[in-house]
Amino acid sequence: MRWLLRRIGISLALAWIVATIVFMTLHMVPGDPAEILLSTGGVSPDPAAVAELRERLGLDQPLLDQYGHFLLGLTRGDLGVSLVDEYPVLDEIALRLPRTLELILAGTLIAVVIAIPAGTYAALHRGGLFDRIASGAAALLLAVPVFVVGTVLVLVLAQILRIMPAGGYVPLAQNPWQHLTLLALPSLAIAKGLAAVVFRMTRASVLDALSRDYVRTAHAKGISPTRVLVKHVVRNALTPVLTVLGLHMGTLLGGTVLVEYVFNWPGLSTPLLRAVEARDYPMVVGIVLTISGLFLLINLIMDLLYAALDPRIRTA
Amino acid sequence: MTPTRRAFLTAGAALPFLRGPARAQPADGTLRFGLSAYPPNLQPWVSTGGAAGTVKMLLHRRLISYNAKGELRGELAESWSRDPADGAWVFKLRPNATFQNGEPVTSTDIRWNVEQIGGEKSTAYMRAQFQAVEWIETPDPHTIRFHTRQPVAAFPDWFAGYNMGLIWHRSEAREPVGAGPFRIAAQERGSSITLEAVPNHWQGLPKIRTVNMVVYADENLRAAALQSGDVDMIEYVPWQAMSAVEADPRLKLDATTGPFMDILFNGSKGPFSDPRVRRAVAHAIRREEIVKAAFFGRGAVLEGVPMVQDTPWYDAELAKGWAYDPERSKALLSEAGFANGFQTTLLSTAQYGMHKDTAEVVQQHLAAIGIQCELRLPDWSTRVSQGQRGQYEMAIHGVSADSNDPDGLTPIFDTTLSPSHGRSFALQAPRTVAALAKGRGEFDQAKRIEAYKEFQRAALEEVPLVTLAWRSQGYAMDRKVKGFTNLPGALSTLSGAMLEEAYLG
Repeated sequence: MRWLLRRIGISLALAWIVATIVFMTLHMVPGDPAEILLSTGGVSPDPAAVAELRERLGLDQPLLDQYGHFLLGLTRGDLGVSLVDEYPVLDEIALRLPRTLELILAGTLIAVVIAIPAGTYAALHRGGLFDRIASGAAALLLAVPVFVVGTVLVLVLAQILRIMPAGGYVPLAQNPWQHLTLLALPSLAIAKGLAAVVFRMTRASVLDALSRDYVRTAHAKGISPTRVLVKHVVRNALTPVLTVLGLHMGTLLGGTVLVEYVFNWPGLSTPLLRAVEARDYPMVVGIVLTISGLFLLINLIMDLLYAALDPRIRTA
Repeated sequence: MTPTRRAFLTAGAALPFLRGPARAQPADGTLRFGLSAYPPNLQPWVSTGGAAGTVKMLLHRRLISYNAKGELRGELAESWSRDPADGAWVFKLRPNATFQNGEPVTSTDIRWNVEQIGGEKSTAYMRAQFQAVEWIETPDPHTIRFHTRQPVAAFPDWFAGYNMGLIWHRSEAREPVGAGPFRIAAQERGSSITLEAVPNHWQGLPKIRTVNMVVYADENLRAAALQSGDVDMIEYVPWQAMSAVEADPRLKLDATTGPFMDILFNGSKGPFSDPRVRRAVAHAIRREEIVKAAFFGRGAVLEGVPMVQDTPWYDAELAKGWAYDPERSKALLSEAGFANGFQTTLLSTAQYGMHKDTAEVVQQHLAAIGIQCELRLPDWSTRVSQGQRGQYEMAIHGVSADSNDPDGLTPIFDTTLSPSHGRSFALQAPRTVAALAKGRGEFDQAKRIEAYKEFQRAALEEVPLVTLAWRSQGYAMDRKVKGFTNLPGALSTLSGAMLEEAYLG
């Protein structure tokens, strides 16, 4: 319990450091939100209008005052409002985050469902035709950037075959079928890199487990090969796979930027990108804080999952 | 389940059936429109870009707009003229016009709008212009008279921009009540906006009852969405996709050369404070290469002040005033004391391909006459900030005039206006500015033409900026979309208003 509380305390301190760094660096980068907003479309705004907007948004206040105001809001759980349209940052995150998480979960699910059985099968038939083809495919998937895969998927499935939509989003409640169809391509694009990593990790890990003494002993005891495989080999082999999965799911939070952009998926990455471009300070800080918070949370969950999978960690 | 060959074939055979439900089918009277950006906000008078402008023009009515030929036509105004007695601009309002809440549109509303736009606390795009309105009279509910400090010949054009939607004077700050043919029926923040026709609109129902605007920020995806049939129509067709659209028998392209690319200068210091050096730059660039490299051939060379062909202001000879002539460039540089060239910097942005590609071509050609440029390619926001503060020597910019009237070029050519990323910084071009002012205050057409010819001659000499290339701006649509016109020249950005005339044939 103390360990858990300590971990949470460290996480909160880290979140504060992240928020401060993001807040300060963003304010140091050239670019004035009021000026940028009023210059949208390449037009030249009246400087008096810019000054008026700066005042209205509180951007004319000293930086430390703005920082103090921001921290005060943070303690109340208030992330402020967007400088662009005064929409509450928290509401924007609440709207967008589930979509990004859905994308990551769907991608992870696809990766796991394909890669763990494939990795196990490849390890059991090491050097065989399937192993060679799958290993080659994994290397290829890792090497090809996600935007290339995304663009090719759009080109082939949407433009040439016209069997899938090019991208977009429809809420699940509005049209479940269309929602899932629109989810398919971006999840596939997200899954491709993760599947390759999980495949390789599973394969290596199963191969390692297969050569262990306890497996030989299990076979010697006359346990059925399937039971040995499921209970002894795969279960033990999954611990490192989970580590990799956890780490990658964290990085996927940042890595969805391109996929969301290519497939027009309105998750958390799009407003983050737009907010950086517009120097929408509260929005950027709010989203980065959320992403880093989630990263820390995923790490915590992974730790708990190790404990569930490996009794030695539980007792340690 | 064990994967079997049979299961695989069954799944494969089912693929074609995915096609129908996979793509949203349009409902009757619904136009699906691929928008290039989600509007940052929809405040009627604040400039927040072309995509926001398209939505705003459907929600609101302006006093005046443009017809398909680019000529002024009344929206809320029935007629307008200048009173020769006192020089006031007089607008007569349509007596049957009402706001979407049923309230009549009166001269009091229009007066309130103009006062807000030109007010001290205003953040409106047209703020500076409307501060030049000295006083307003509203003799009756349907007549409004504007008295400007200086005579303004193109005054009606001021009311035709997409940041001039007029709203009910008792509107709540966050809920402007417009008089346009559409209202927002639903919006999915960041991804789509659905507009529906206003029932009982004072001008009747538009042919299209619903416009479903889906945001595709990525230009290639926007084009793909049209090609795959996800949307009926898209704006800002990427140049690289224009050929594919033309080749597709299902689709059509409506493009015009409206906006243009230019080079801005910091005239406060260094070699570019000398007009001869700026003229040397103007003659040094082979503009065909920009059209080819940045716009895939979808544009046109621009070697003078950007006047649209077939307008009275256009002069074939003046239009070639900065024609490619590297020898002349070198001579001008020698004359200015830079026979051996010099080192400088060229500000552009890596965020937009056309800005970066244009900068690279310019860099190459300037090197050929001895001007070595170091490219500065920050993100767009930094580019704006540095431009505004004069933290550059030369900068690439892309812009469109406010209208096809030469007065619409004032924000770009008048270097006495406040510093802006879209104008040269601290640059002296007195003859150009004086000629612009003369044209603005001149009501006799022949004299206006002469004033703007003088403006072109002065600009060619003083070089407040160097124009490079027109770029094509296009809408692409399914052939069944009819009635829509991309407005000519600089008005192309106002074409979104034509969606209310579109229908699915």
